[in-house]
Amino acid sequence: MSADEPGAPGKTFGEPVAIVGYAVSPMSEFAEQTEVQLCLDVVTAALASSGLGRKEIDFTCSGSSDYLSGGTFTFVANLDAVGAWPPIRESHVEMDGAWALHEAWVRLLIGEERTALVFGSGKASTGELSRVLTLQTDPYYLAPLGTDPLSLAALQARALLEAGKATERDLAAVAARARRAAATNPLAVPAVAAAGAAAVGDLDAEIDALLAAEYVRSPLRAHDTPPVTDGACAVVLATATVARRLAAEQGITPVWITGLEHFVEPHQPGMRDLTDSVSTRRAGEAAGLADGGPVEVAELSALHSHEEIILRGALGLPDTCEVNPSGGALAANPTMATGLVRVVEAARAIRERGARRTLAHATSGPCLQQNLVCVLDEASTEEAR
Amino acid sequence: MPVSAETKYGPSVTTNTVEFPYRRSLGPVVGGFVAALARGQITGVRSTGVRGGGRVLCPPLEYDPDTGAATDGELVDVGPEGTVRSWTWVAAPDARHPLDRPFAFALIQLDGADTAMVHAVDAGGEDALRAGLRVTARFRAQPKGRTDDLAYFVPEGTETTDPDVVDAAAAAAGAAAAGVSTEPVQTMEFWSSLTYKEAVSPATARYARSMLAGTLLGQKCPTCAKVFVPPRDFCSIDGIRLDEGHDLALPDRGVITNFTIVTPVPYPGQKETEPFVRVSVLLDDVEALMGLQPVVDIPNEEVRVGMRVEAVWLPESERNAEEFGNRGWGSTTGAISGWRATGEPDLPVERYIDRVF
Ligand SMILES: [Zn+2]
Repeated sequence: MSADEPGAPGKTFGEPVAIVGYAVSPMSEFAEQTEVQLCLDVVTAALASSGLGRKEIDFTCSGSSDYLSGGTFTFVANLDAVGAWPPIRESHVEMDGAWALHEAWVRLLIGEERTALVFGSGKASTGELSRVLTLQTDPYYLAPLGTDPLSLAALQARALLEAGKATERDLAAVAARARRAAATNPLAVPAVAAAGAAAVGDLDAEIDALLAAEYVRSPLRAHDTPPVTDGACAVVLATATVARRLAAEQGITPVWITGLEHFVEPHQPGMRDLTDSVSTRRAGEAAGLADGGPVEVAELSALHSHEEIILRGALGLPDTCEVNPSGGALAANPTMATGLVRVVEAARAIRERGARRTLAHATSGPCLQQNLVCVLDEASTEEAR
Repeated sequence: MPVSAETKYGPSVTTNTVEFPYRRSLGPVVGGFVAALARGQITGVRSTGVRGGGRVLCPPLEYDPDTGAATDGELVDVGPEGTVRSWTWVAAPDARHPLDRPFAFALIQLDGADTAMVHAVDAGGEDALRAGLRVTARFRAQPKGRTDDLAYFVPEGTETTDPDVVDAAAAAAGAAAAGVSTEPVQTMEFWSSLTYKEAVSPATARYARSMLAGTLLGQKCPTCAKVFVPPRDFCSIDGIRLDEGHDLALPDRGVITNFTIVTPVPYPGQKETEPFVRVSVLLDDVEALMGLQPVVDIPNEEVRVGMRVEAVWLPESERNAEEFGNRGWGSTTGAISGWRATGEPDLPVERYIDRVF
């Protein structure tokens, strides 16, 4: 048996993988730091919180978009944050950092590597985000029409209302809760946190106030839409052997990834049921959502209020589940890192707030086209057995 | 470094615009769809296979997105009337939008199609919109062979005053009179333009100031001793932050360690027409390398590794910092016009040939 084969001595195929460190940058509507500086700070902080040094990382994977930054190979420049000399094993996805997490997780399951650094970053303020995302749509039928992301989201919101699955008041309620949560989240975009802190009276009164606002794209109002956000996020993964050593030697609390899957749906918004998220449901099932105790906290990449309602339904989250205690993407939406931030928030709920089982969701494409579900647990699947 | 009037951002802001003229192959299905638009005809395509087979997709695709099975490729007529399934109102359109007056984006299920397409509805006011609204298509009076020859939809029964569009019957009559081709349209052009702005980082600002004053500026990492040009306030080897205290004034003389001769290929915005050379210069006394530098008064064929060179500074009054962005890999444009030979004897090639970056 060759040393390169799974199952060879010193290599364990399918060993459980844990999050052992993480960091999230401050979120702002216009960061003065360069993207690589944002990455440098979160990579450094995430490694420090993991107890691992830069040279102890076996595999690095990042998620970012050159279209956002307007520079070719910006993702290569971002590697300056890692210290990529002598050469390292590295990969990049032109997707949210949550998909970089997926790639790293698969690599660790294969067993050749034991530690991984994952980061996602984006300065959405640099380009014209709405135009960049318009160009991300199908170049034949959609982009030439100027189908901006807000319009596409609004078509989905309207479909949900027309189907009787939500009301405009339900949307405002999601936004009101997100703003209140943002007020106590130091990593929320300051303007959203301030709006949440300024809210007076009970939730019903606040919802009434929100409903008095003008539409930006009916039936969506400004509070139903995410802030343009600059930010970065990093996560450190380790296989069980390393994670348990870090726990014993450095007092690190591992948070175990017990399931991680993603599915994609047709790109054309008119060719699927916009009132449901089939790919989210399938990802949740494949990630073993039903095969454990109740999910206590769910961090959902709901970029617009109505998406939270669709995602809740698709995942079948119980009423006891706390959704987006961070304020979610309505509090801070660092494009290309929003999903990875959800993973960190879900891990924090376990490591810092004593939750036992949590869920993170990431999305990509218009109208929740592609969805990733990550299930986290205080115990590894081995321990649970 | 053009300073923006947008003072809310505090530091000065650089902006740049990236444009790209895409020319896309349309293939038989999209190309057929576009060809039919010139005749005032909207088309869909029938999906095949066990699951969902026989349903008509509009807009037509080469593959059924539900099954991955190839559609049968036969375009079938749908519309021009259809039903609004969902909609939103764009109260303040911008340049990328298909209409310059307030309009609706809508999901429209054309009569004869089983799916909905996203398109625009010119409805006058938001009050006219509702799910279930019957609409009909308007076509570009002078078709251009693009998907947007389908201009927009209007509520059924609407009189059209826009001289640039016609209804389906008029488009068909016009096409028949003009003998418009029925062959699929092969390509479609799409001009992409994006403008980017970002704060000039403190390191870039220090570099720009120094260059305007006639001094090359680098930054030395205290851990690995590598010198970076320009300063970036971090070391990419060690992954640590650096600051102004690590800045280092650099000599403006050095040796060519590598070069390439670029033969320009025409593209939009291309300014060079003749082959030109770019060199890597390793500066004297410090281990600092500047890549992709232009040369002055050295014929392309005389450029060689080991050649001694010095910077040719622009007169102080002509210097500008417009090219100094945050991601420059040692751009000197605007302060140094290039590097010229000093006339000193060459240095040994073997000592420098490996120093590319
Ligand atoms: Zn260094």
